Amino acid sequence: MKNKIEEIRTEFLKQLAKIKNSEQLRDLELRYLSRKGELSDIMHNLKDVEASLRKELGELANTAKQEMQSKFKELQVVLEKHNKKNEFIDVTLPGEKFINGHLNPITLVQNELEDIFSSLGFMIGDGPELESDYYNFTALNMPPQHPARDMQDTFYVDLKNKDNQYDLVMRTQTSPVQVRLMQKYGAPLKALIPGRCFRNEATDARHEHTFYQVEGIMVAKEINFANLKSLLELVGQKLFGPNTKLRMRPKLFPFVEPGNNGEYTCFLCQGKGCRVCKYTGWLEIVGAGLIHPDVLRSGGIDPEVYSGLAFGFGLNRLAMLKYGINDIRLFNGGDLNFLEQF
Amino acid sequence: MYISLNWLKEFVKIPQKISVNEIAVGLTQHTVEVEGLAHQADKFKNIVVGRVLEVNKHPNADRLRVAMVDIKKNKLKIVCGAPNLAEGQLVPVALVGAILPGGLEIKESEIRGEKSSGMICAEDELGIGKGHEGILVLNNNAVVGGAFSKYLKASDVILEIDNKSLSNRPDLLSHYGIAREIGAIFDLTVKPYEKLLNKKIEFLNSKDSELEVKIEDKEDCARYMAVKISGLEVKESPDWLKEKLIAINQKPINNLVDLTNYVMFECGQPLHAFSADGLKKIVVRRAQKNESLETLDEKERVLDESDLVISDGQSPIALAGIMGGKNSGINEATKSIVLESANFKATLIRKTSQKLGLRSEASARFEKSLDQSLTESALFRYINLLSKICPALKISSSLIDVQQVVLSDKSIVLDLDWLDKKIGQEIPKEESIKILKSLGFKIEEQTARQLAVMIPSWRATKDITAREDLAEEVLRIYGYDKIISRMPSETLSLPEINQERMLERKIKNILSLKYCLSEMYNYSFVGEEQLKKLNIDFSNYLKLVNPLSGIQNILRQSLVPHLISNIKTNQAKSEKIGFFEIGDVFFGAPGSIKKGVNNEETLPYQEKKIGLILASEETDLFIQLKGIVDNLLKNLINYEIQTEFLLSNDFPGWADKNQIVKIRVLNKELGTIAVVNGEASNNISLKKKVVIAEINFNALAELIFSLTVTRFREIEKYPAVVRDLAFVLNEKILYNEIRNEIVKFNPLIRSVELFDIYVGSQINDNEKSLAFHLSLQAEDRTLTASEVEIIITALIKHISERFEARIRN
Repeated sequence: MKNKIEEIRTEFLKQLAKIKNSEQLRDLELRYLSRKGELSDIMHNLKDVEASLRKELGELANTAKQEMQSKFKELQVVLEKHNKKNEFIDVTLPGEKFINGHLNPITLVQNELEDIFSSLGFMIGDGPELESDYYNFTALNMPPQHPARDMQDTFYVDLKNKDNQYDLVMRTQTSPVQVRLMQKYGAPLKALIPGRCFRNEATDARHEHTFYQVEGIMVAKEINFANLKSLLELVGQKLFGPNTKLRMRPKLFPFVEPGNNGEYTCFLCQGKGCRVCKYTGWLEIVGAGLIHPDVLRSGGIDPEVYSGLAFGFGLNRLAMLKYGINDIRLFNGGDLNFLEQF
Repeated sequence: MYISLNWLKEFVKIPQKISVNEIAVGLTQHTVEVEGLAHQADKFKNIVVGRVLEVNKHPNADRLRVAMVDIKKNKLKIVCGAPNLAEGQLVPVALVGAILPGGLEIKESEIRGEKSSGMICAEDELGIGKGHEGILVLNNNAVVGGAFSKYLKASDVILEIDNKSLSNRPDLLSHYGIAREIGAIFDLTVKPYEKLLNKKIEFLNSKDSELEVKIEDKEDCARYMAVKISGLEVKESPDWLKEKLIAINQKPINNLVDLTNYVMFECGQPLHAFSADGLKKIVVRRAQKNESLETLDEKERVLDESDLVISDGQSPIALAGIMGGKNSGINEATKSIVLESANFKATLIRKTSQKLGLRSEASARFEKSLDQSLTESALFRYINLLSKICPALKISSSLIDVQQVVLSDKSIVLDLDWLDKKIGQEIPKEESIKILKSLGFKIEEQTARQLAVMIPSWRATKDITAREDLAEEVLRIYGYDKIISRMPSETLSLPEINQERMLERKIKNILSLKYCLSEMYNYSFVGEEQLKKLNIDFSNYLKLVNPLSGIQNILRQSLVPHLISNIKTNQAKSEKIGFFEIGDVFFGAPGSIKKGVNNEETLPYQEKKIGLILASEETDLFIQLKGIVDNLLKNLINYEIQTEFLLSNDFPGWADKNQIVKIRVLNKELGTIAVVNGEASNNISLKKKVVIAEINFNALAELIFSLTVTRFREIEKYPAVVRDLAFVLNEKILYNEIRNEIVKFNPLIRSVELFDIYVGSQINDNEKSLAFHLSLQAEDRTLTASEVEIIITALIKHISERFEARIRN
């Protein structure tokens, strides 16, 4: 037993001398000094030793233990100091890298508009993208052969009705939803209608056969032109800043009368004139007007009692202006290099 | 459309203080957008008058000569090929740096070894005629060294009008119409068109008339006026006529034709001159099936009953309202003409013009419904002007005027109080009256606040029909900028909440922010080739009738094809990519949305889908996407639900039959998840493993909206006991089956979670080991160890018997 204690002590000191780091030191502690360590074993076994020898061996073991512990502590302090020096952390290193998902910029601009109008109490409306000729044109004061249909080159869908006529179109505008909403909810009505639209035209940097619009309508008992103007001014200021001004001029849209184009102060040059606004200081952004009585009638609303206003934006154009995107084809182009910027 | 300022000035006196820029802005703000202003002199920038001093042979080319030309400042050596070049001539010289109307830029050059510093121009090169037989020789008014534009008196300014937006205003497709607007906008006097006309013309009486006109269907042609004129000589138009046409980018042809165009651009009424030799009869009729006509553009047009033609009693000589026939065209030998001034039915002209892809200045006007009273003014204007050009002309017919329809004078009652209410501010009564009068409306005051407004004939065809139209007239001339904006006042009300839109937005946010997928917007159209590569049968897919050439024409029934293309486009970009799209798809079967109020037919069925796609080399991609779908549904519905993945018997052509599942939640099937199979992958050249989920948005929305709020479940008071069990069983036994068996075995088994799957050397080849965490818990007591042991033992026995499984230690 005596030898055994001495052996442990010697072996411990020998091992201790070889220790290079705190990990090895911890292992050593575990092996010799812990509750289940070799020395504890000895101490534990003392109870089986003869009473006469027990005292001497006990003292010996205690002395050995104290020595071992103090030598251990010494090294532990040294190592800790040493470690502190080595465990320098470069806090400027980059954080863990994450992949991100990105929303299409059309979604971002659409959300922005939906939020503005929701806060004004507008409901968000939607309707079918594959629409009937009736809702896309006739109900909007464009009966068959109406010259205004010229303005829109329409995709017709190859499925004839019972009269053997093509009467299905890929909607050329979000306006058919106006009439559907009027029929469903009646007046008064405030709605914002975003959505995908289609025109049969060749694509280039400025033209797309698939594009996105958002339009708003408001039907109530005394809606007038001054209301329309003020609502459009508000939208302009929300979208392009508080100093944005509105300029309106006549423009034919068969579903409104009077019909207008609205231009806003160019937000890039603050109206001074730049390349984007073609040096006019104004950006043509919105089409608007007072809802044509025939359209109200299509919607089942009496134009003698109610009147309405309507306005529409091109979401692609808004996004292009906002982010400086120079090619409309990028929105549907499926290129991650484009999407990951948003 | 181009409008000449000089031409406008013939009808409206524009004071000096109003600049051309102000006119452009005025028109834009009140009538129609002026897209551009072109100062005519700019067209001839760097083109000057030169005198040919000497002409020498070109040393190296027989057909070329070398001229010395004096342009006052200096003398230029110019190589020229024109045969008519001669000493002493005054000629237009394009200097180095000039850009000719055709786009040719003049540069210092060497032609067959001879230096040439400029170009002596022919008429066509200057865009002022078609002559190319030789250089243009100027008359003695030309000043050597002076600007060629001065010689041409090209002081005009041309306004470019956005005529796309004029579909309701055929009256504005003319100089007179624009002049009338300028008069109203700037409060200027406009000369009445009637004052230009001299109607004292001696027509033959109908007995002696050499011409007879018949209209077969009155509906097709509202009015047909014609006159035969002889004693004519076809020649170049006089300068005043040519200049006007050149100014608005029209090429002069000959005097008789140019004058028809002149009158059209002046007043808006298209005219046509037939070569009249032998032409005694005119019949306005529909074409017969397969009847053909060679039009003036030398194209053979095959016609049918939907096309309106002018015939000479036998065969067609013109496509009514669109283009004349070659057979009746004016040629050098023409001595007499039949002048047509007619009013054809707009829709007929429009249809034929669209069908044939043949648009002309005439058809552009006819298809917008012209004023029937214009035919008369235009006819007299033509005769008046022609007698200036051809003083020897003789009228050799009666004045033929087949007037089928008499327009009734329409009037609309305009209530001024209504007008103020509509605009939102008071417009002074005198102001409204003045504006309407200046636009040609006649006003009768019925009461102090009610006006009976008579619509002028040129606005009555389709344009002005209701009081709202009058409101616009008053408002636009009054000025939008004078209206003080005022927010609508209304009773507060809660808007209808569009739940679907909110859900869609939530899904987009979760997929992009949480699962790091990027949002694609793909076209609604797919291509045959694309679908074939994916082995998709598209026989029942809807198609476009009139697709763009080279563009996909099939309406998508799934988001998958384009999402796969998205992977292909981006696969080289990074190790792992993932996208999503939310979009509509279209089916042939009828859906539930009506086509119209009084129409029982419904639109084809359409639904919104959510597509998710992942691509990488990772082997567990299928499981990853199942995890995303499961979690997405938990995010959207609640965290207690369990998404089931069921075997599918329905395999799209692109899917790996061994790796496809149906998604089911709360007993509702919502979509599928599948791995793209090797064949499709090869066909598309995919470089990565690709897995796709497609979820029916509408079904998901319906499910979510049908659920009530998940109530709080009281937190368990008594601890759960967790036991791990691993069963070794045949590899073909599905997880779903064994899990269901465990779940329903005892109500105290609260959750069953798979935590390990083992296949390998420690068990047999056709076996797998599934290890589960089982959690047992009671609501009313702490479970005792023996209680748990009894359940577990029974469970092991049950599973072992049911699946021929054994427990793995």
